[in-house]
Amino acid sequence: MDVFSDLMMGFSVAISPINLLYLLIGAMVGMVVGVIPGFGPSAGLAILLPVTFGMDPTGAIMMLAAIYYGAMYGGTITSILLNTPGESATVASTFDGFPLARNGRAGPALVMQAAASFVGGTVGVILITILAPMFAQVSRSFGPPEYFLLAVMGMLTLIVMIGSHWKLGVISALIGFALGTVGVDLETGQGRYTFGSAELIGGVYFIPVAIGLFGLGELFFAFYTGLHRTGTGGIVQYDRQSRFWPTAEDWLSTRMTMVRGSILGFVVGVIPGAGATIASLMAYSTERSISRNGHNFGNGEMAGLVAPETANNAASSGAMIPLLTLGIPGSASTAVLLAAFLLWGLRPGPLFMETNPELAWGLIASMYLGNMALLAISIFAIPLFVQIIKVPYRILGPTVVVICAIGTFSVHASFIELYLMFAAGVIGFFMRLYGFSPAALVLALVLGPLAEEALRQTLTISRGSFMIFVDRAPSLWIIGVTVTLVLLLPLLNRFGSRNAASAESAGG
Amino acid sequence: MDFGTIFTRERLQAAAVAATLALASPAVAQDYPSADETLDWTIAFGPGGGNDIMARNIIDILTKYDLYPGDIQAENRAGGSGAVGWGYLYTQSGDPYGISTTSGSFVTTPLQADTPWQPEDFTPVALLTTDDLVLVVNRDSEIQNIEQFIEHAKANPMNIGGTGTVNVDFIVPTLFAQKAGFEFDYVSFNSMSEQTTALLSNALDAMVGNPGEILGLIESGDLRPLVFSGQSVPDALAGVPTMGELGYDIGVSMPRGLILPPDAPAEAQEWWIETMKKVVETPEWGEYIRSNTLTPTVIYGDEFGAFLSRTKNGFGEVLRSVGAIQ
Amino acid sequence: MRIAFFLVVLTGAIFYSYVAFADLGFLSRTGRLGPGFFPRIIGVAAIVMTLWALVDELRARRGPGGAFEQWRDVAVLIAFALGYAVLLRLFGGFVATFLFLLLTLSVLNPGRRLTNGLVAVIVPGVVYLLFDQLLNANMPPALIDLPI
Repeated sequence: MDVFSDLMMGFSVAISPINLLYLLIGAMVGMVVGVIPGFGPSAGLAILLPVTFGMDPTGAIMMLAAIYYGAMYGGTITSILLNTPGESATVASTFDGFPLARNGRAGPALVMQAAASFVGGTVGVILITILAPMFAQVSRSFGPPEYFLLAVMGMLTLIVMIGSHWKLGVISALIGFALGTVGVDLETGQGRYTFGSAELIGGVYFIPVAIGLFGLGELFFAFYTGLHRTGTGGIVQYDRQSRFWPTAEDWLSTRMTMVRGSILGFVVGVIPGAGATIASLMAYSTERSISRNGHNFGNGEMAGLVAPETANNAASSGAMIPLLTLGIPGSASTAVLLAAFLLWGLRPGPLFMETNPELAWGLIASMYLGNMALLAISIFAIPLFVQIIKVPYRILGPTVVVICAIGTFSVHASFIELYLMFAAGVIGFFMRLYGFSPAALVLALVLGPLAEEALRQTLTISRGSFMIFVDRAPSLWIIGVTVTLVLLLPLLNRFGSRNAASAESAGG
Repeated sequence: MDFGTIFTRERLQAAAVAATLALASPAVAQDYPSADETLDWTIAFGPGGGNDIMARNIIDILTKYDLYPGDIQAENRAGGSGAVGWGYLYTQSGDPYGISTTSGSFVTTPLQADTPWQPEDFTPVALLTTDDLVLVVNRDSEIQNIEQFIEHAKANPMNIGGTGTVNVDFIVPTLFAQKAGFEFDYVSFNSMSEQTTALLSNALDAMVGNPGEILGLIESGDLRPLVFSGQSVPDALAGVPTMGELGYDIGVSMPRGLILPPDAPAEAQEWWIETMKKVVETPEWGEYIRSNTLTPTVIYGDEFGAFLSRTKNGFGEVLRSVGAIQ
Repeated sequence: MRIAFFLVVLTGAIFYSYVAFADLGFLSRTGRLGPGFFPRIIGVAAIVMTLWALVDELRARRGPGGAFEQWRDVAVLIAFALGYAVLLRLFGGFVATFLFLLLTLSVLNPGRRLTNGLVAVIVPGVVYLLFDQLLNANMPPALIDLPI
């Protein structure tokens, strides 16, 4: 079967009424989650994962994926109208988005961000369609040595990209690694840090930790920064009649920006460890240096909004490639998405698309439809989302606590996991408060055990010799790519973070 | 992560039992199973494995023939070679709405890890089948048959992958190697799919697996089967010798059955025995046995309990003799 | 506070390393990397990094962070959230959620009794319908049944 017939088969799965309904619900919910300040795709996915529990896997995965990329659309609305990014990946969108709104161009800014998101998302899905089968083919030559190197690449990229607070980022990752070693050791069967408790044999449960860190932790932090008190006084009013639509000039001047942003964003998204946040910052700074109006960036330049918006959506799509074809999550949100797959008894990896063609291609097809739905929603339902912004945060806050708690409990009906979630919430708050990175912790919690098992398998296979990493061609390639990235990324990052001191948590 | 110690298992269990009794005890006595209760089906291994396939087949049959009145929620609680899933079932003590399927690790994991439970703790329902392992190499391998494999392995030690540590996956090749007179390194993986990927990438020299899980890849020619550990070769593997035929009979196979939590009510045990008698008569079950190349071996209730006990002692001896456990 | 958090992390790292060195073997029986290999590396790295960050912290010596104002509401929310965890165990999902919302909102959103009361009734209702009825998932069961 070629790609086209696979994709058509995917559409036939995605287009069934019930799946379409799940997809639309996911897209709406994703937008809402994105709109709420402090909550991005990882929080949205973690909190809503339990809700999808009783559903059929295909519909559930489509819905979760829609929440994942839908959050990127919603996150920008508050960046533009409130100067408050919905999540870290839309920080770059405030740089020119808010000035545009203040200059009375809120309408065009909102429409252009939706269009840019659509272009980024759709280009991303097209590239997934073409590249995922190729990646899956290549990854069939990957064994334990390659998996170890990929996990290392992910962690290195993450740490290199954290930037200013790198020491705290490393400590966060080490905490994640440490938690990842809890449980029965795969190779010897010996219990590690289980202290005789049956609850810890399988390790620290991932979902409660993710819900706690991203859901409760971010909520507490938002209360600390006073979001619930400032309320919504800062919303920029905009005219919905006369100057709502972008001008021809807006479209023409940003068409190449969209192309560049999409490709850059996608490539960054594919790299394990980098994510939508980094992609958006890099796209912004690249565009500023390329654009003729670069000097005007920061004062309300349309290209300065379009670049990060196409990039962060394309990056979300790009991150699906290592997830689907290798089973390796590249960011905190794809780590949560991986947990969702596993919960449904699906294990992404080189053989995944071959053994689950309907789910894999149904998911990809649903992303085309999802992006179209999100484009329509984000243009025509803007007034609705403005109303959501107006719901007082002090009422929203306790409600989120309730959803996190009941959601966590519903997964395994375990009070231990419920308490773990609350503990992770408090820890997550202090981590955010003191500049640590919960995203690095969560990613390390997933990649750590993967790296350890793969290294120990590798050394058993090679009878203790490290030469296996250079003897195998795929390993050598990965080492080459990793070295290039580690040398290249800091340069790009320094370049990108000149304006972006506020975007602290990496990983998207 | 101190909560494990704050809420000790005992207290949790007591609370769970109390809650269950308060909610459900009259219902159990009168009409088990109640249509209002969701059956919490634990699958102690990851998706796609033999245990997973069997559990989901039984669930499909129960649903299709309306044998179970309520909802069934199946969940993969993988980890620690089954320690996690069955550990969870263990904490459901007394609950008639917890259930799980067993496999070889149900016996071996408590032998090698300090699990709080032993196979005898659970309420046995039925042994349904045994399945056996097939040794395979990559299609690119120069090794064409088992004689070449043994010859090659004697000359330069090879590695063989399997799922889990100190598992049937380890015991079968270990016993075979002892009898055939070669040495090898065992590489432990978390799941069948990781181990298959490792073999396809030529990182592993060979691996063992349940034929049911890798039949697709054997049929497509990606994997080459060399030898089968069961007594008779299934149709799908026609032409592959058994270990017995080579004169290296090892007499070990993986017991697959159905269990309830410890101290489950007798009504529940009775009900499930009667129900499983219906399940194994269905054409779907016959098809499952055929398509997964299993050997049907059915015994019920306490006889199954005794079987588990015997198998555990047998495995223990094997593992001690190779020095894998103390 | 900041220093205290670093010290908590440091204590955790030291305890983690202690177990790694005391209980877990560096190499396995067959001479390969053992169960203690990674934990020892992680533990030592965590101690070193935390000490390093702590030294930075002491040198920077920033003033007391966050005004009382800033801390009050978040402290209330965290304290009530933890109380909610206890309530859930005792009274089950529905009652605990009602109590939690009513109490928390009366502090965070004072004076608006009608709104608060409505939210406290509607949210548990919707959550109950969604999880218990629609999704067929578990709500936390009550240990003590209230006579309502």
